[in-house]
Amino acid sequence: MRYLKTSEAAALLNVSPNTLRAWERRFGFPKPQRSPGKHRLFTHGEVAALRDALQEGLSISSAVSRAREGLAADTSSLIGALVSYERERADAAIEAALALRSVDRSVEEVLLPTLDEIARRYTLESAPWAFAAHWAADWLRRATRLAPPPVRPVSIVVGDASRDELDPDAPHIRAFELFCVRAGIKVLSLSARGVAGIGDAVALHRPNLIVVAGGYLPDDAVARWAYATRLAAGAMPIAVYRRTGQRTRVRSTGTSVLPPGAGEARQRLLELIDASQLARTLTDSPAAAGEADSDRPGMRSASF
Amino acid sequence: MDGGRRRDRQSALTLVAEQRPDEGRALAFCGHCGRRPQRGFRAHARVCESCGLGLILRCSAQDAPPVDGAFLVLDARLRVCAVSRRAEQLLAVSETDVVDRHLSALLVPAEAQAASGESLAVAIVQAAGGDRVTRTAVVRPANTFGVRINARIASCGPRPAALIVLEL
Ligand SMILES: [Zn+2]
Repeated sequence: MRYLKTSEAAALLNVSPNTLRAWERRFGFPKPQRSPGKHRLFTHGEVAALRDALQEGLSISSAVSRAREGLAADTSSLIGALVSYERERADAAIEAALALRSVDRSVEEVLLPTLDEIARRYTLESAPWAFAAHWAADWLRRATRLAPPPVRPVSIVVGDASRDELDPDAPHIRAFELFCVRAGIKVLSLSARGVAGIGDAVALHRPNLIVVAGGYLPDDAVARWAYATRLAAGAMPIAVYRRTGQRTRVRSTGTSVLPPGAGEARQRLLELIDASQLARTLTDSPAAAGEADSDRPGMRSASF
Repeated sequence: MDGGRRRDRQSALTLVAEQRPDEGRALAFCGHCGRRPQRGFRAHARVCESCGLGLILRCSAQDAPPVDGAFLVLDARLRVCAVSRRAEQLLAVSETDVVDRHLSALLVPAEAQAASGESLAVAIVQAAGGDRVTRTAVVRPANTFGVRINARIASCGPRPAALIVLEL
């Protein structure tokens, strides 16, 4: 994946950086990501697709529409491969998507919409869904293994409360984990069914935050897992991800609901961790020590 | 607004081949703001240097819209390709929302000319096919009754398309 700075993208499109920013506001395209230093980074594929569309275009809107259509072709080719049960062609389709986009955006704009579309067209009880969900789980796990090692002093434990890999939330949970790993976060993913021994796992991993992901397991099962986790790790923030249906029962101030999109969820998670680290710094100060101690049984305020 | 230039009484759409001295001389204009490129404009650049939001289009000089005029560009399938800034205001739409939609989402023949919808379509298809005859029609915004707007339909490019200038 090749990225372009604003000045490079503007040069390729033969416009000024100000014009490129005006396009971002008006057309939402090309859509930059942010570098760790908050600078705009454009994918070469998007910029090149727009440059080609502009050559024969009659308006920037229509060129953007053509460029988007070209990029959307990846989704239809992945759908075609998966519903034909062709693993190699599916691998090739996602590789083609990766040539134009980052890993995160290939997942969010191609892989996950493809799965949602297959589930919608064929139902969750169908063979195409079974094949697609299995392929996606495999691909996402592989991408997670290939991600660079964690660089942030941040770790999370994910309690997976989905049914299995055929659960429609499962690919989104794997994607969320992948995005977290790619953001340099250390992630320990465990089924929320496994309560015995969870204390040791948590003590070794020392998470900053716990995420309960998926809506299949009932609240009482998840509550047992979360309680055991917090018993070992102490009071710490809990966030829930794609726990649809159970969401209304989550009322505690100690629990945050992450947005359903994997990318947005990661962003919110990082904000929560920043806030909790700041709070920890404040409560660790001598002046606040008394308050911190009195707040220690904070587990009681948790929803689980 | 229609005036007495209607020649074809069976079709309420006026089809007028206008002959002017400067016919054929190409003129460049921005598909968003209508401004003409500055002298010294880089020939290979396609984006308007004035507003940055439109592509440079060409048509014969007598067909060119006024600067900041209300106009649309359509393809031969009657799909909206461009809507000028002034036309966005006039029709209360955003180009980004209506691009690729059918003309009828924006403009229809005015009431008295309801039967001429096909003729309007034919005029646009011919212009979009590169026909150099300039035609006129009376139209109204699709969601507004009682408004009549004179429209001039001509060919523009670079890729052959129909330019509809709304004469306000
Ligand atoms: Zn302009």
